[in-house]
Amino acid sequence: MGYSELFATYGEKYLQAIFETLSMTAVCFAIAMVLSVLITVMRVSPIKPLRIVGDLYVQVFRNIPGVALLIIVAYALPYLKIMLPWKACVEVAVVLLASAFGSENFMTGINAIGVGQIEAARSIGLTFTQTMTKIVIPQALRSAVLPMTNLLIATMLTTALGSQVPLNPQELTGLVSFITTRETAIGILPFTVSAVAYAGFSVLLGLAGNAIDKRVRVIR
Amino acid sequence: MPAETPVIEMRHVDKHYGALHVLQDINLSVDKGEVVVLIGPSGSGKSTLCRTINRLETIDSGEILIEGEPLPQEGKELAKMRAEIGMVFQSFNLFAHKTILDNVTLGPREVLKTPKDVAEQEAMRLLARVGVEAQAHKVPAQLSGGQQQRVAIARSLAMHPKAMLFDEPTSALDPEMINEVLEVMVELAREGMTMVVVTHEMNFARRVSNRVIFMADGQIVEEGTPDEFFDHPKSLRAKDFLDSIRGH
Repeated sequence: MGYSELFATYGEKYLQAIFETLSMTAVCFAIAMVLSVLITVMRVSPIKPLRIVGDLYVQVFRNIPGVALLIIVAYALPYLKIMLPWKACVEVAVVLLASAFGSENFMTGINAIGVGQIEAARSIGLTFTQTMTKIVIPQALRSAVLPMTNLLIATMLTTALGSQVPLNPQELTGLVSFITTRETAIGILPFTVSAVAYAGFSVLLGLAGNAIDKRVRVIR
Repeated sequence: MPAETPVIEMRHVDKHYGALHVLQDINLSVDKGEVVVLIGPSGSGKSTLCRTINRLETIDSGEILIEGEPLPQEGKELAKMRAEIGMVFQSFNLFAHKTILDNVTLGPREVLKTPKDVAEQEAMRLLARVGVEAQAHKVPAQLSGGQQQRVAIARSLAMHPKAMLFDEPTSALDPEMINEVLEVMVELAREGMTMVVVTHEMNFARRVSNRVIFMADGQIVEEGTPDEFFDHPKSLRAKDFLDSIRGH
């Protein structure tokens, strides 16, 4: 079986898989960004219990392999009567992972902001919340564009966890398993197609990230 | 005639950094319209003193009163009080991601809830007053240090402060930019702004200050009019210090 035959048979499934991978990436990354801002605000808040919960969240979810997280969400949570659809299980695992790393990226951005910026904000009478929303978060977001681009790519690659549960339609990695179990003599071909797709989108995202970074970077 | 309530009053203020007693029984009062210069060797506690007045530094004991009211603890009350006291830092601390105009309008818009157009009109007027209106749409990193410091003064003025604190406002500037900042401060002093200025600029102290306070090792060692202090310092510490900065 060559490429032409592969595409003739599975072309439509590949398109669906690309759509699945990209849409899961978009959903997971969007939720992860919101969560990482919230967790990061907790981690720098003046309230100690919030800081502890935020730090704990990052330490826990940054240090569990994605597959283990998926197994917990998909196969352990049902014992607690929490039964999510397969796709949601994958997305939850990806979001937990990505938001922990995302919060670290924001923390790095916040640490790059001089204490003087915060003192100046407090000294004109901004409250803690105003200082966060007007000074700290905007600067942290801007300086986090490049690491967040990496995280976006990593999020896309992590949606390959979808291959470990029965999804329909499948994403790019799951589709490879699907094809190789049906076409015994196909060899490496389906892997190559998925790999090229992943790599292509990664390059595009990387370029977009660089362009955004150039526009919004804070010059100091 | 009863004296008017001082704008800033410190009573028996103490502060430690670990074992270091950085402020020792500080008593100080600054009247409306008064310009007080704090001078002293590095590590004498003068910057710390200045920063306790709007609680950028907390104190261990004693009292700080603003127009007779005790300085609030953390929270909204403290933010409100800080809005009424201007602060100018050694390193300018302009908001790096905002334009010059937005730097000046942020406080009025967020804290005083001034409408955008009104805040911008006033900001442009203030920027013109400190001579940087042509830079209004640039970001801080595009300005010289002297220009940034003048913007920082305009940013404080936009809040209509009762008093202004200057923490070594010219120490980070190249020599040729020091005067452009000092001129703005001289003008403010002449207009009657209540000011506490930590500085080594003796000419400024002589020209505009009402009182010079000399600090060493966390204590107020002596105070007096600028002429008294610079020409006839009483303490040995002050004499040594003046000799050292005059390069004798």
